[in-house]
Amino acid sequence: MKKLVYITLVMIVFGSAIQAQKTSFKIKGSDTCLPVILKESEEFMKKNPNTSIMVTGGGSGVGLGALITGTTEVAMASRKMKLDEKLKMQDAAKAFTEKIFANDALSVVVNPSNKIDRLTREQLEGIFTGKTKNWKELGGVDLTIVVYSRETSSGTYEFFKEHVLNNKNFASSVLSMPATGAIIQSVGQTKGAIGYVGLAYIEKSVKALKVSFDKGKTYVEPTVENAKNKSYPITRPLYIYYLKSIEKTVNPFLSYILSAEGQKLVLEVGYVPLK
Amino acid sequence: MVVAMLFVILFFICIRGIKVINWEFLTTMPKDGMTKGGILPAIIGTFTLMFGSMLFAFPIGVLSGIYTNEYLKESWFKSFLRSMTNNLAGIPSIVFGLFGMALFVNKLHFGDSIIAGSLTLGLLALPVIIRTTEEALKSVDMSLRTGSYALGATKLQTIRRVVLPVAFPNILTGLILSMGRVSGETAPILFTVAAYFLPKLPHSIFDQVMALPYHLYVLTTSGTDIEATRPIAYGTAFVLIMIVLIFNLMANWLRRYFSKKVKMN
Amino acid sequence: MNKSQRKKIEKIVEGVLFSSSTVTSITVIFIIIFLFNEGIGLFRSKPIEVGYFMAVNKDNPVKQLSPSDIDLIFNQDITNWSKLGGKNDSIILFTYNNITSYISEDSLGANQEYLPAQMNKFISSTSGVIAFFPESFKPKNLIATVLPIKNVKISEFLMGKNWYPTNQPAAQLGILPLILGTLWVSFGAILIALPLGLATAIYLAEVADKRLRNILKPLIELLAGIPSVVYGFFGLVVIVPLVQKTFGLAVGETALVGSIILGIMALPTIITITEDAILTTPQSQKEASLALGASRWQTMVRVIIPYSKSGIAAAIILGIGRAVGETMAVLMVTGNASVIPHSFLQPVRTIPATIAAELGEAPVGGLHFKALFALGIVLFIITFGINLAVEIIKSRTRRA
Repeated sequence: MKKLVYITLVMIVFGSAIQAQKTSFKIKGSDTCLPVILKESEEFMKKNPNTSIMVTGGGSGVGLGALITGTTEVAMASRKMKLDEKLKMQDAAKAFTEKIFANDALSVVVNPSNKIDRLTREQLEGIFTGKTKNWKELGGVDLTIVVYSRETSSGTYEFFKEHVLNNKNFASSVLSMPATGAIIQSVGQTKGAIGYVGLAYIEKSVKALKVSFDKGKTYVEPTVENAKNKSYPITRPLYIYYLKSIEKTVNPFLSYILSAEGQKLVLEVGYVPLK
Repeated sequence: MVVAMLFVILFFICIRGIKVINWEFLTTMPKDGMTKGGILPAIIGTFTLMFGSMLFAFPIGVLSGIYTNEYLKESWFKSFLRSMTNNLAGIPSIVFGLFGMALFVNKLHFGDSIIAGSLTLGLLALPVIIRTTEEALKSVDMSLRTGSYALGATKLQTIRRVVLPVAFPNILTGLILSMGRVSGETAPILFTVAAYFLPKLPHSIFDQVMALPYHLYVLTTSGTDIEATRPIAYGTAFVLIMIVLIFNLMANWLRRYFSKKVKMN
Repeated sequence: MNKSQRKKIEKIVEGVLFSSSTVTSITVIFIIIFLFNEGIGLFRSKPIEVGYFMAVNKDNPVKQLSPSDIDLIFNQDITNWSKLGGKNDSIILFTYNNITSYISEDSLGANQEYLPAQMNKFISSTSGVIAFFPESFKPKNLIATVLPIKNVKISEFLMGKNWYPTNQPAAQLGILPLILGTLWVSFGAILIALPLGLATAIYLAEVADKRLRNILKPLIELLAGIPSVVYGFFGLVVIVPLVQKTFGLAVGETALVGSIILGIMALPTIITITEDAILTTPQSQKEASLALGASRWQTMVRVIIPYSKSGIAAAIILGIGRAVGETMAVLMVTGNASVIPHSFLQPVRTIPATIAAELGEAPVGGLHFKALFALGIVLFIITFGINLAVEIIKSRTRRA
């Protein structure tokens, strides 16, 4: 008897899951992209009450993995799809489209008490690969440099490695933080700290550095303006991947993001609009 | 000393947490990149997972406890089952997370969903329920059983009418304790159900949910404005502790209440 | 309802009961199967990314490279072939990303249709070259030595000192720092928790009166009930800055903080088990000791503790087991630097924290994903061994 009740209960729960749906799709992936896409989807759903969009994070790898296994229709990523993943998409016979919807500028941050306010790419490479160990070597006070980085698997980590470290390895002694917020927190309370975060995350408790990619000729401040006109060098695109099979459903949302109004939201959240 | 430590932790979080607690905090959605608003979806998610996992773990756990204690005689099989249960209890929660991800999320294609998370948490809670059920059954006086048999009752009748009613309060205590435990787990739900942020409450068991422990983790480590989210983090920690506390106290109270009642009889 | 029907029902119920009692065993077996299924795959894959090939000039005497050599080459730590047993010739890195610094963009063609041919020309004419390209660009008649890449070895995995799971072109999957980090933090936790736990247990069992016990015990159980994220949160905002200031460290996220937090978390386990062990000391032995004129303290040290030795041992091992598997709190406070630890005042990275932090971003089914499952196996084996040890100790005590 008890068993029967149990079974019917399970059936009811299952049954409610397979209800009729309006146009709806899921977006999943990078936590970097999450704040923008979330905001965009909120505004979009206000205007199109018939569409329901589920946005969840988890990471670029999770999102693209879900796209391959079919648990999501749209993936957002802070890195380009890897060849490995492309091959898997081919194996699964799934055609997809890649779109860039915004840019993100990575800024190098230090503790506000640090007097240094500018560094060259070469100096950054020295710091993050562990060759430069004390602020004194860079003209600062005698203080050990504490390097904070993101987890090895994050898109942010890979981008920074590729574009700032010239593909060299981070020193193994860097402290890796599970998320950007933790980097801000730690850099804010550690005097000798240095780390890198997305432009949107910068706040009073940390100081953003000007950087130079031309051996110290010009130093550029990380601002939305400088990122937009491409004078700030550490800028990366943010991607959306979606299955070709649901192009019609996704298109209105995509064109909303790329519209002037959508791009204004990108700016509001703290990222860099495309135009 | 140990107790002092406990109080330091509790007070620290309660004093800061209680300031942000109000009706609105408990009943509204997060707003503005989680720097404002409440934690309603996380609370609902935690309770959903709690009941979801129990729906699965409680019947199996109790049945399994009954079987090992009432049906099985001391044998290699019984000690094998025991040690398996103990082993399951000793497996780190992150390994449950890995397993849940491999089996429920990827293999069975549930995706990140309430059902995958509930099953993973249910497996985690299973040993606790089995053990408390066994303990509860053991504490039932043998004379009650022999008396029932003497009156001509079958084994099943004896268990249903005599043993279970007496053992029930203690089994219930086990249930409540494991609910408290499940509500605080983070690692198993990380890859099976937990969502960073959801604009809506879940509709079906294949949706993801937010959950209090994961929400606290997210609030402390991510978020675009750590300073602004700090009060919310304290509030979330406070609510989480309160839930665990209430479940623990409830179990304790139940245990005492029933033990008194039994004595009076 | 007649008798035969009733008998049938009894049989069915017994069957249901039996099958539910096997669920735990099945789960354990399933966990093993699934972990191994994903994790063992690691040792069947190559440490370079799928779909790429690596080649050197035909005349280069170096015909084979280990993953760590490859990493050193591409990290520009090794810049001359002579260090790898080759000719005295500087190494020229040649990849898809830097191809335009060797071959002009125009000569590659608008759709890179001439890329394979140009690549072939460059590789065959440059003696110091090492090329790393997607298979899709591989020329049909490649004039070069394609380096055979061996599968990841178990010994490399367990004893390797570098954990760079996402490195291009060759991932570095050495988990030694992670294993040591995990053990380091766990032993630290026991070092902190054991004296405290032992003292509390003795106090509860021997000194405290019944009323006080009734208040204290549930409180200690409550300590066990607090979720680990809350501990992590508390550690991050209170203990990390505290440790940083007291020891004047450059950085507060250290093994010590992890040990303190884990120590607090392991306390309830240690207290409960030790107390049980102490309570089983026969009253007669205690009384005999007291009657011989021993003080209470002497009785405690000479009689009670030796008698409950194995119980205390079980508590220690179980406590370590808890600490080894703890994830969230450690992830939040230890700084997660994958270095082999030398002191407690240094950041460390543990196995569970690594899994929790990296699994989300790792491509499903890829090398990194498999490596994390293999880490799960290592963790599982450690805790399984610990459980086994506890069982053995327990059964020995029972016999004694």
